[in-house]
Amino acid sequence: MTFDDSMPVMGIESTAHTFGVGIYDKGKIIANQKVMYPIKDRGLIPGKVADFHANNFRLVISRALKEAKLGINDIEAIGYTKGPGLGPCLSIGQLAAKSLHQKYGIPLLPVNHALGHIEVTKQAFNLKDPLVLYVSGGNSQILGLVDSPFRHYHVFGETFDIGIGNMIDSFARAAKLVPAWGSTVARVAEGGRYFDLPYTVKGMDFTFTGLLTSATKALENHPVKDVAYSLQETSFSMLCEATERALLLARKRELMVCGGVAQSARLKEMLAMMTRSHSVRFSVSPNELNADNGAMISVVADRMFRAGERYNDIAITINQRYRVDTVKVTW
Amino acid sequence: MVILMKKIGEGAEAVVYYGKFLGRDAIVKDRVKKGYRIPEIDGEIRLQRTRREAKILGVASGAGINVPRVLLAAKTKIFMSKIDGIGMAGVMRGEHDIPGGMLERAIYDAGRAAGALHNSDIAHGDYTPANLIIDHKGRLWVIDFGLAAMTKSVEEKALDLLLMKRSLEKALFQKFMDGYRTVSKGQVEIIDRLKEIERRGRYQSRTLLPG
Repeated sequence: MTFDDSMPVMGIESTAHTFGVGIYDKGKIIANQKVMYPIKDRGLIPGKVADFHANNFRLVISRALKEAKLGINDIEAIGYTKGPGLGPCLSIGQLAAKSLHQKYGIPLLPVNHALGHIEVTKQAFNLKDPLVLYVSGGNSQILGLVDSPFRHYHVFGETFDIGIGNMIDSFARAAKLVPAWGSTVARVAEGGRYFDLPYTVKGMDFTFTGLLTSATKALENHPVKDVAYSLQETSFSMLCEATERALLLARKRELMVCGGVAQSARLKEMLAMMTRSHSVRFSVSPNELNADNGAMISVVADRMFRAGERYNDIAITINQRYRVDTVKVTW
Repeated sequence: MVILMKKIGEGAEAVVYYGKFLGRDAIVKDRVKKGYRIPEIDGEIRLQRTRREAKILGVASGAGINVPRVLLAAKTKIFMSKIDGIGMAGVMRGEHDIPGGMLERAIYDAGRAAGALHNSDIAHGDYTPANLIIDHKGRLWVIDFGLAAMTKSVEEKALDLLLMKRSLEKALFQKFMDGYRTVSKGQVEIIDRLKEIERRGRYQSRTLLPG
């Protein structure tokens, strides 16, 4: 056995409404603090959220250090979310990381947000080589690690238009549900009755705009609970079907679901049922790790740092469209 | 009349059996129930897709393309003629000894078949060597229309070519396209779209996996 002399790594997350700071040390998450811009009945206005984050980042960083019972000088490296996400929000996370770097000389690592969701779940369940269903506001992708032409998460399938989270949130706003997001739609859907909505899967890819348009229109002549139920059943079935096809093609023995929409009980139930029929192991993290958080960024930053990745100041950028399949996985 | 004999394959949505239909060898494709979907969605999808696949097989067959003949489509099952031969994917992996030039000829014919499908407004949706069979006379057959669509979409037709391009070495893909060009009527637009798709970022890293 070797002595682990690694020091704690901090992660800063700010892709959308959450500003989160987590700390990871020797295989354990030892802090995970966040503030969230309050969602009411409308979508995010990036500039306003960024102001909110700018006013709160110092507070969240100091809370995380307090939770971990550490000082800033105990931190060996800091990861921040490079993207994908909303530009103004990402900028605040980058700014927070840069200011710590300038003041204390702590090395920085630009982290892909999707990798955060993936790695934190792999870590929690000790997964070897899972197929990943990544479902969040702006993203819906089926991913798996491949070694060529370089080691990266290959996209087996994905949405051709909008992410499932944004689709559900848009519907919630159209239906005047408050707060306008998935868990409200799920609650309203209880006891609803199904009616026909467009179901569009093309192999391992899928589209959601047609479904959203039809569901929004159906609000005129159907009870909202029936529309919410039908929308949820249709969209989750589409995800499940595409995932099942990828699972068989990639011949993976593990499936994990992650991202904000992975908090949905119904989606988890459907995926569990599907994987059981193929004797595939199914894992999903607790909700606090599927909502956006800093801990997951600290886990990836730790992997990158231990693998020897180092970045100079010019590389400390943000990228609103930072695709997960462009990231070299070095660990 | 119908004897289900042996399960020979299981895909994401269907189970495939080898069996007998009116005393003749047949393949039975059954779109099985998916417990994760509510019955209202599940039942409708399985019926609709079975009907669609049977229809497309009929159209392709009518256009003179070598595809399995539909013997009967009933609810979620399609009974079709069995194609005897070897899979092109296996040939490419070196699993079969075949006469020299036979693979090249079959690839050329696969290009012609793709052209004919597209002329009939059929996009196959999974046009790879795994779904091509070479029979003992060296004839090429196209199978598995489970993801196929009747469509005029240039994009979907171009995606058939893209899948093939990702599955073949350069020289073989040339052969494939030589065949395609002799048949496809919309080739200029479709080949342009193929180039455009390749330029777009989305499919860049989406290389195909073996098998």
